[in-house]
Amino acid sequence: MTHWFHRNPLKATAPVSFNYYGVVTGPSASKICNAQQDAVFELISMGFNVALWYTKYASRLAGKENITEDEAKEVHRSLKIAAGIFKHLKESHIPKLITPAEKGRDLESRLIEAYVIQCQAEAQEVTIARAIELKHAPGLIAALAYETANFYQKADHTLSSLEPAYSAKWRKYLHLKMCFYTAYAYCYHGETLLASDKCGEAIRSLQEAEKLYAKAEALCKEYGETKGPGPTVKPSGHLFFRKLGNLVKNTLEKCQRENGFIYFQKIPTEAPQLELKANYGLVEPIPFEFPPASAQWTPETLAAFDLTKRPKDDSTKPKPEEEVKPVKEPDIKPQKDTGCYIS
Amino acid sequence: PAIPEGVPTDTKNKDGVLVDEFGLPQIPAS
Repeated sequence: MTHWFHRNPLKATAPVSFNYYGVVTGPSASKICNAQQDAVFELISMGFNVALWYTKYASRLAGKENITEDEAKEVHRSLKIAAGIFKHLKESHIPKLITPAEKGRDLESRLIEAYVIQCQAEAQEVTIARAIELKHAPGLIAALAYETANFYQKADHTLSSLEPAYSAKWRKYLHLKMCFYTAYAYCYHGETLLASDKCGEAIRSLQEAEKLYAKAEALCKEYGETKGPGPTVKPSGHLFFRKLGNLVKNTLEKCQRENGFIYFQKIPTEAPQLELKANYGLVEPIPFEFPPASAQWTPETLAAFDLTKRPKDDSTKPKPEEEVKPVKEPDIKPQKDTGCYIS
Repeated sequence: PAIPEGVPTDTKNKDGVLVDEFGLPQIPAS
Protein backbone atom coordinates (compact mmCIF):
# COMPACT_ATOMS: atom_id res chain seq x y z
CA MET A 1 0.00 0.00 0.00
CA THR A 2 3.06 2.28 -0.04
CA HIS A 3 1.79 3.95 -3.20
CA TRP A 4 -0.90 5.62 -1.19
CA PHE A 5 1.33 7.95 0.68
CA HIS A 6 2.23 9.92 -2.40
CA ARG A 7 -1.25 11.28 -2.57
CA ASN A 8 -1.15 13.84 0.24
CA PRO A 9 -3.03 16.84 -1.11
CA LEU A 10 -1.65 19.40 1.30
CA LYS A 11 1.81 20.76 0.97
CA ALA A 12 3.14 21.95 4.27
CA THR A 13 5.33 24.56 2.64
CA ALA A 14 2.50 26.32 0.87
CA PRO A 15 0.84 29.17 2.79
CA VAL A 16 -2.80 28.42 3.52
CA SER A 17 -5.23 31.18 4.42
CA PHE A 18 -7.52 30.56 7.36
CA ASN A 19 -10.31 32.72 8.64
CA TYR A 20 -10.14 32.90 12.40
CA TYR A 21 -13.12 35.23 12.71
CA GLY A 22 -11.54 37.88 14.88
CA VAL A 23 -9.46 35.53 17.01
CA VAL A 24 -6.32 36.41 15.11
CA THR A 25 -5.93 40.17 15.05
CA GLY A 26 -2.61 40.68 13.31
CA PRO A 27 -0.32 39.26 10.61
CA SER A 28 2.21 37.97 13.14
CA ALA A 29 -0.44 35.97 15.02
CA SER A 30 -1.75 34.68 11.72
CA LYS A 31 1.75 33.55 10.76
CA ILE A 32 2.04 31.60 14.02
CA CYS A 33 -1.29 29.88 13.36
CA ASN A 34 -0.20 28.92 9.85
CA ALA A 35 3.10 27.63 11.18
CA GLN A 36 1.28 25.59 13.79
CA GLN A 37 -0.90 24.03 11.10
CA ASP A 38 2.21 23.17 9.11
CA ALA A 39 3.67 21.53 12.20
CA VAL A 40 0.50 19.52 12.84
CA PHE A 41 0.45 18.39 9.23
CA GLU A 42 4.14 17.41 9.36
CA LEU A 43 3.59 15.45 12.55
CA ILE A 44 0.64 13.58 11.05
CA SER A 45 2.51 12.88 7.81
CA MET A 46 5.51 11.57 9.72
CA GLY A 47 3.34 9.31 11.88
CA PHE A 48 1.44 8.11 8.84
CA ASN A 49 4.63 7.18 7.00
CA VAL A 50 6.02 5.40 10.06
CA ALA A 51 2.79 3.37 10.30
CA LEU A 52 3.02 2.50 6.61
CA TRP A 53 6.61 1.48 7.11
CA TYR A 54 5.49 -0.99 9.78
CA THR A 55 2.93 -2.48 7.39
CA LYS A 56 5.53 -2.88 4.65
CA TYR A 57 8.06 -4.31 7.08
CA ALA A 58 5.47 -6.84 8.22
CA SER A 59 4.65 -7.68 4.61
CA ARG A 60 8.30 -8.24 3.73
CA LEU A 61 8.91 -10.44 6.76
CA ALA A 62 5.74 -12.44 6.13
CA GLY A 63 6.90 -13.13 2.57
CA LYS A 64 10.26 -14.53 3.66
CA GLU A 65 11.24 -18.13 3.17
CA ASN A 66 11.17 -20.28 6.30
CA ILE A 67 9.80 -17.62 8.62
CA THR A 68 10.76 -18.28 12.23
CA GLU A 69 8.50 -18.01 15.25
CA ASP A 70 10.24 -14.81 16.33
CA GLU A 71 9.72 -13.32 12.87
CA ALA A 72 6.04 -14.26 12.98
CA LYS A 73 5.82 -12.45 16.31
CA GLU A 74 7.53 -9.45 14.72
CA VAL A 75 4.99 -9.42 11.85
CA HIS A 76 2.14 -9.65 14.33
CA ARG A 77 3.55 -6.92 16.54
CA SER A 78 4.41 -4.59 13.63
CA LEU A 79 0.85 -4.72 12.36
CA LYS A 80 -0.52 -3.99 15.83
CA ILE A 81 1.87 -1.03 16.16
CA ALA A 82 0.82 0.28 12.72
CA ALA A 83 -2.86 -0.04 13.68
CA GLY A 84 -2.14 1.87 16.90
CA ILE A 85 -0.40 4.72 15.07
CA PHE A 86 -3.18 5.03 12.46
CA LYS A 87 -5.77 5.01 15.23
CA HIS A 88 -3.93 7.65 17.25
CA LEU A 89 -3.58 9.94 14.21
CA LYS A 90 -7.26 9.54 13.39
CA GLU A 91 -8.48 10.24 16.90
CA SER A 92 -6.04 12.82 18.22
CA HIS A 93 -4.28 14.69 15.42
CA ILE A 94 -6.19 14.66 12.12
CA PRO A 95 -9.18 16.47 13.74
CA LYS A 96 -6.77 19.33 14.53
CA LEU A 97 -6.20 20.08 10.83
CA ILE A 98 -8.12 23.22 9.93
CA THR A 99 -8.29 22.23 6.28
CA PRO A 100 -9.80 18.74 6.30
CA ALA A 101 -8.26 16.08 4.08
CA GLU A 102 -9.87 15.87 0.66
CA LYS A 103 -12.22 13.02 -0.10
CA GLY A 104 -10.41 9.82 -0.92
CA ARG A 105 -7.03 11.07 0.33
CA ASP A 106 -4.85 9.28 2.83
CA LEU A 107 -5.72 11.33 5.88
CA GLU A 108 -9.43 11.15 5.29
CA SER A 109 -11.24 9.35 8.11
CA ARG A 110 -12.64 6.53 5.94
CA LEU A 111 -9.20 5.63 4.63
CA ILE A 112 -7.50 5.81 8.01
CA GLU A 113 -10.25 3.66 9.50
CA ALA A 114 -9.77 1.10 6.70
CA TYR A 115 -6.03 1.04 7.41
CA VAL A 116 -6.66 0.36 11.12
CA ILE A 117 -9.06 -2.51 10.43
CA GLN A 118 -6.88 -4.00 7.68
CA CYS A 119 -3.87 -4.06 10.00
CA GLN A 120 -5.91 -5.84 12.67
CA ALA A 121 -7.22 -8.36 10.12
CA GLU A 122 -3.75 -9.04 8.71
CA ALA A 123 -2.33 -9.56 12.20
CA GLN A 124 -5.13 -12.06 12.88
CA GLU A 125 -4.13 -13.91 9.70
CA VAL A 126 -0.78 -14.60 11.37
CA THR A 127 -2.62 -15.87 14.44
CA ILE A 128 -4.81 -18.15 12.30
CA ALA A 129 -1.73 -19.58 10.58
CA ARG A 130 -0.19 -20.27 13.99
CA ALA A 131 -3.40 -21.78 15.37
CA ILE A 132 -3.49 -24.19 12.42
CA GLU A 133 0.18 -25.05 12.81
CA LEU A 134 -0.23 -25.77 16.53
CA LYS A 135 -3.35 -27.83 15.82
CA HIS A 136 -5.73 -25.79 17.93
CA ALA A 137 -9.37 -26.82 18.12
CA PRO A 138 -11.27 -26.36 14.79
CA GLY A 139 -13.86 -24.29 16.69
CA LEU A 140 -11.20 -21.77 17.71
CA ILE A 141 -9.83 -21.53 14.15
CA ALA A 142 -13.32 -21.22 12.62
CA ALA A 143 -14.29 -18.40 15.03
CA LEU A 144 -11.07 -16.48 14.44
CA ALA A 145 -11.37 -16.88 10.65
CA TYR A 146 -14.97 -15.69 10.83
CA GLU A 147 -14.03 -12.59 12.85
CA THR A 148 -11.17 -11.89 10.43
CA ALA A 149 -13.56 -12.12 7.47
CA ASN A 150 -15.81 -9.67 9.32
CA PHE A 151 -12.91 -7.25 9.70
CA TYR A 152 -12.24 -7.39 5.96
CA GLN A 153 -15.91 -6.86 5.24
CA LYS A 154 -15.97 -3.87 7.59
CA ALA A 155 -12.89 -2.32 5.94
CA ASP A 156 -14.46 -2.87 2.52
CA HIS A 157 -17.68 -1.26 3.69
CA THR A 158 -15.72 1.72 5.04
CA LEU A 159 -14.35 2.34 1.54
CA SER A 160 -17.63 1.68 -0.28
CA SER A 161 -18.59 5.35 -0.53
CA LEU A 162 -15.27 6.33 -2.14
CA GLU A 163 -14.73 6.95 -5.84
CA PRO A 164 -13.76 3.62 -7.49
CA ALA A 165 -10.72 5.33 -9.00
CA TYR A 166 -9.27 5.60 -5.51
CA SER A 167 -10.48 2.36 -4.04
CA ALA A 168 -11.32 -0.29 -6.69
CA LYS A 169 -8.16 -2.35 -6.36
CA TRP A 170 -7.95 -1.98 -2.62
CA ARG A 171 -11.57 -3.05 -2.23
CA LYS A 172 -10.98 -6.05 -4.46
CA TYR A 173 -8.20 -7.15 -2.10
CA LEU A 174 -10.45 -6.70 0.94
CA HIS A 175 -13.31 -8.53 -0.74
CA LEU A 176 -11.20 -11.51 -1.78
CA LYS A 177 -9.76 -11.80 1.72
CA MET A 178 -13.28 -11.65 3.14
CA CYS A 179 -14.39 -14.56 0.91
CA PHE A 180 -11.21 -16.47 1.61
CA TYR A 181 -11.55 -16.28 5.40
CA THR A 182 -15.28 -17.03 5.30
CA ALA A 183 -14.34 -20.16 3.33
CA TYR A 184 -11.82 -20.96 6.10
CA ALA A 185 -14.53 -20.45 8.74
CA TYR A 186 -16.98 -22.79 6.94
CA CYS A 187 -14.25 -25.38 6.43
CA TYR A 188 -13.25 -25.56 10.11
CA HIS A 189 -16.86 -25.23 11.23
CA GLY A 190 -17.54 -28.31 9.12
CA GLU A 191 -14.87 -30.18 11.06
CA THR A 192 -16.51 -29.13 14.35
CA LEU A 193 -19.90 -30.35 13.10
CA LEU A 194 -18.43 -33.68 12.02
CA ALA A 195 -16.80 -34.10 15.42
CA SER A 196 -20.24 -33.78 17.01
CA ASP A 197 -21.72 -36.36 14.59
CA LYS A 198 -23.63 -33.78 12.51
CA CYS A 199 -22.29 -35.15 9.26
CA GLY A 200 -25.07 -33.82 7.01
CA GLU A 201 -24.59 -30.27 8.30
CA ALA A 202 -20.82 -30.69 8.06
CA ILE A 203 -21.14 -31.57 4.36
CA ARG A 204 -23.32 -28.51 3.78
CA SER A 205 -20.80 -26.31 5.62
CA LEU A 206 -17.95 -27.66 3.50
CA GLN A 207 -19.96 -27.19 0.31
CA GLU A 208 -20.34 -23.54 1.32
CA ALA A 209 -16.60 -23.35 1.93
CA GLU A 210 -16.03 -24.77 -1.56
CA LYS A 211 -18.35 -22.16 -3.07
CA LEU A 212 -16.65 -19.27 -1.25
CA TYR A 213 -13.22 -20.58 -2.13
CA ALA A 214 -14.19 -20.57 -5.82
CA LYS A 215 -15.50 -17.02 -5.41
CA ALA A 216 -12.23 -15.93 -3.76
CA GLU A 217 -10.32 -17.54 -6.64
CA ALA A 218 -12.37 -15.55 -9.17
CA LEU A 219 -11.76 -12.38 -7.16
CA CYS A 220 -8.02 -13.05 -7.20
CA LYS A 221 -8.20 -13.01 -10.98
CA GLU A 222 -10.24 -9.80 -10.97
CA TYR A 223 -7.77 -8.26 -8.52
CA GLY A 224 -4.93 -8.93 -10.96
CA GLU A 225 -6.91 -7.37 -13.79
CA THR A 226 -8.06 -4.28 -11.87
CA LYS A 227 -6.17 -1.12 -12.67
CA GLY A 228 -4.67 0.71 -9.76
CA PRO A 229 -1.74 0.78 -7.40
CA GLY A 230 -0.77 -2.43 -5.70
CA PRO A 231 1.07 -5.66 -6.31
CA THR A 232 0.83 -7.35 -9.69
CA VAL A 233 1.10 -10.81 -8.19
CA LYS A 234 -1.66 -13.38 -8.51
CA PRO A 235 -2.68 -14.32 -4.96
CA SER A 236 -4.46 -17.47 -6.14
CA GLY A 237 -1.09 -18.89 -7.20
CA HIS A 238 0.31 -18.72 -3.68
CA LEU A 239 0.62 -21.83 -1.62
CA PHE A 240 -1.30 -20.29 1.27
CA PHE A 241 -4.26 -19.98 -1.08
CA ARG A 242 -3.99 -23.37 -2.74
CA LYS A 243 -3.65 -25.12 0.64
CA LEU A 244 -7.15 -24.12 1.68
CA GLY A 245 -8.55 -25.48 -1.61
CA ASN A 246 -7.00 -28.87 -0.89
CA LEU A 247 -8.13 -28.84 2.73
CA VAL A 248 -11.75 -28.10 1.77
CA LYS A 249 -11.70 -30.80 -0.92
CA ASN A 250 -10.21 -33.48 1.34
CA THR A 251 -12.44 -32.68 4.33
CA LEU A 252 -15.56 -32.69 2.16
CA GLU A 253 -14.61 -36.05 0.64
CA LYS A 254 -13.98 -37.47 4.10
CA CYS A 255 -17.41 -36.25 5.33
CA GLN A 256 -19.15 -37.65 2.25
CA ARG A 257 -17.45 -41.01 2.74
CA GLU A 258 -18.43 -41.16 6.39
CA ASN A 259 -22.00 -40.15 5.61
CA GLY A 260 -22.20 -42.94 3.03
CA PHE A 261 -20.88 -45.56 5.46
CA ILE A 262 -21.97 -44.48 8.93
CA TYR A 263 -24.35 -41.54 9.28
CA PHE A 264 -26.73 -41.58 6.29
CA GLN A 265 -27.82 -38.04 7.18
CA LYS A 266 -29.78 -35.68 4.93
CA ILE A 267 -27.81 -32.68 3.67
CA PRO A 268 -29.62 -29.42 4.53
CA THR A 269 -30.45 -27.05 1.68
CA GLU A 270 -29.40 -23.99 3.70
CA ALA A 271 -25.82 -23.45 4.79
CA PRO A 272 -25.35 -23.32 8.59
CA GLN A 273 -25.45 -19.86 10.11
CA LEU A 274 -22.04 -18.81 11.30
CA GLU A 275 -22.53 -17.11 14.63
CA LEU A 276 -19.04 -17.65 15.91
CA LYS A 277 -17.36 -15.58 18.57
CA ALA A 278 -13.61 -15.74 18.94
CA ASN A 279 -12.46 -15.94 22.54
CA TYR A 280 -8.79 -16.07 21.64
CA GLY A 281 -6.48 -14.39 19.16
CA LEU A 282 -8.43 -11.21 18.46
CA VAL A 283 -6.09 -8.31 17.73
CA GLU A 284 -6.29 -4.89 19.31
CA PRO A 285 -4.07 -1.99 18.16
CA ILE A 286 -1.13 -1.24 20.46
CA PRO A 287 -1.88 2.19 22.00
CA PHE A 288 0.43 4.82 20.60
CA GLU A 289 1.47 8.26 21.83
CA PHE A 290 4.00 10.65 20.35
CA PRO A 291 6.88 11.22 22.76
CA PRO A 292 6.63 14.45 24.76
CA ALA A 293 8.58 17.51 23.58
CA SER A 294 12.11 17.67 24.89
CA ALA A 295 12.60 19.66 28.10
CA GLN A 296 14.97 21.90 26.11
CA TRP A 297 11.95 23.49 24.35
CA THR A 298 11.24 26.20 26.91
CA PRO A 299 9.50 29.53 26.12
CA GLU A 300 12.96 31.16 26.31
CA THR A 301 14.39 28.74 23.72
CA LEU A 302 11.47 29.38 21.40
CA ALA A 303 11.83 33.14 21.84
CA ALA A 304 15.48 32.86 20.84
CA PHE A 305 14.49 31.94 17.29
CA ASP A 306 14.27 35.13 15.27
CA LEU A 307 12.66 34.60 11.88
CA THR A 308 13.56 38.13 10.74
CA LYS A 309 17.20 37.00 10.65
CA ARG A 310 16.65 34.25 8.15
CA PRO A 311 18.55 34.45 4.80
CA LYS A 312 17.01 36.97 2.41
CA ASP A 313 16.59 34.52 -0.47
CA ASP A 314 14.42 32.31 1.74
CA SER A 315 11.34 33.40 -0.11
CA THR A 316 7.94 32.41 1.26
CA LYS A 317 6.63 32.21 -2.27
CA PRO A 318 5.77 28.58 -2.94
CA LYS A 319 7.70 26.81 -5.64
CA PRO A 320 5.65 25.37 -8.48
CA GLU A 321 4.48 21.90 -7.55
CA GLU A 322 6.55 19.11 -8.99
CA GLU A 323 4.78 16.02 -10.12
CA VAL A 324 5.40 13.15 -7.71
CA LYS A 325 6.04 9.98 -9.63
CA PRO A 326 4.86 6.73 -8.03
CA VAL A 327 7.67 4.59 -6.68
CA LYS A 328 7.89 1.17 -8.29
CA GLU A 329 7.45 -1.39 -5.60
CA PRO A 330 8.74 -4.90 -6.28
CA ASP A 331 6.30 -7.69 -5.65
CA ILE A 332 7.06 -10.01 -2.80
CA LYS A 333 7.07 -13.57 -3.99
CA PRO A 334 7.07 -16.06 -1.16
CA GLN A 335 8.52 -19.32 -2.45
CA LYS A 336 7.61 -21.49 0.46
CA ASP A 337 4.51 -21.58 2.56
CA THR A 338 4.58 -18.89 5.23
CA GLY A 339 1.01 -19.45 6.36
CA CYS A 340 -0.21 -16.04 5.32
CA TYR A 341 0.06 -13.41 2.64
CA ILE A 342 -0.50 -9.77 3.45
CA SER A 343 -0.54 -6.62 1.35
CA PRO B 1 8.51 8.41 17.15
CA ALA B 2 9.61 5.96 19.76
CA ILE B 3 8.60 2.36 19.23
CA PRO B 4 5.94 1.51 21.82
CA GLU B 5 6.96 -0.99 24.44
CA GLY B 6 5.57 -4.45 23.82
CA VAL B 7 4.39 -7.07 26.24
CA PRO B 8 7.57 -8.18 28.02
CA THR B 9 6.55 -11.76 28.65
CA ASP B 10 5.29 -14.48 26.38
CA THR B 11 2.38 -15.41 28.57
CA LYS B 12 -0.71 -13.63 29.77
CA ASN B 13 -3.75 -14.81 31.55
CA LYS B 14 -7.13 -14.67 29.82
CA ASP B 15 -10.04 -15.91 31.92
CA GLY B 16 -7.73 -18.24 33.79
CA VAL B 17 -6.15 -19.62 30.60
CA LEU B 18 -2.50 -18.93 29.85
CA VAL B 19 -2.12 -17.43 26.40
CA ASP B 20 0.90 -16.79 24.17
CA GLU B 21 1.92 -13.54 22.43
CA PHE B 22 -0.68 -14.18 19.75
CA GLY B 23 -3.44 -14.45 22.31
CA LEU B 24 -3.83 -18.20 21.72
CA PRO B 25 -4.05 -20.71 24.59
CA GLN B 26 -0.64 -22.07 25.56
CA ILE B 27 -1.98 -25.62 25.39
CA PRO B 28 -3.99 -26.34 22.22
CA ALA B 29 -7.32 -27.93 23.16
CA SER B 30 -7.92 -29.92 20.01
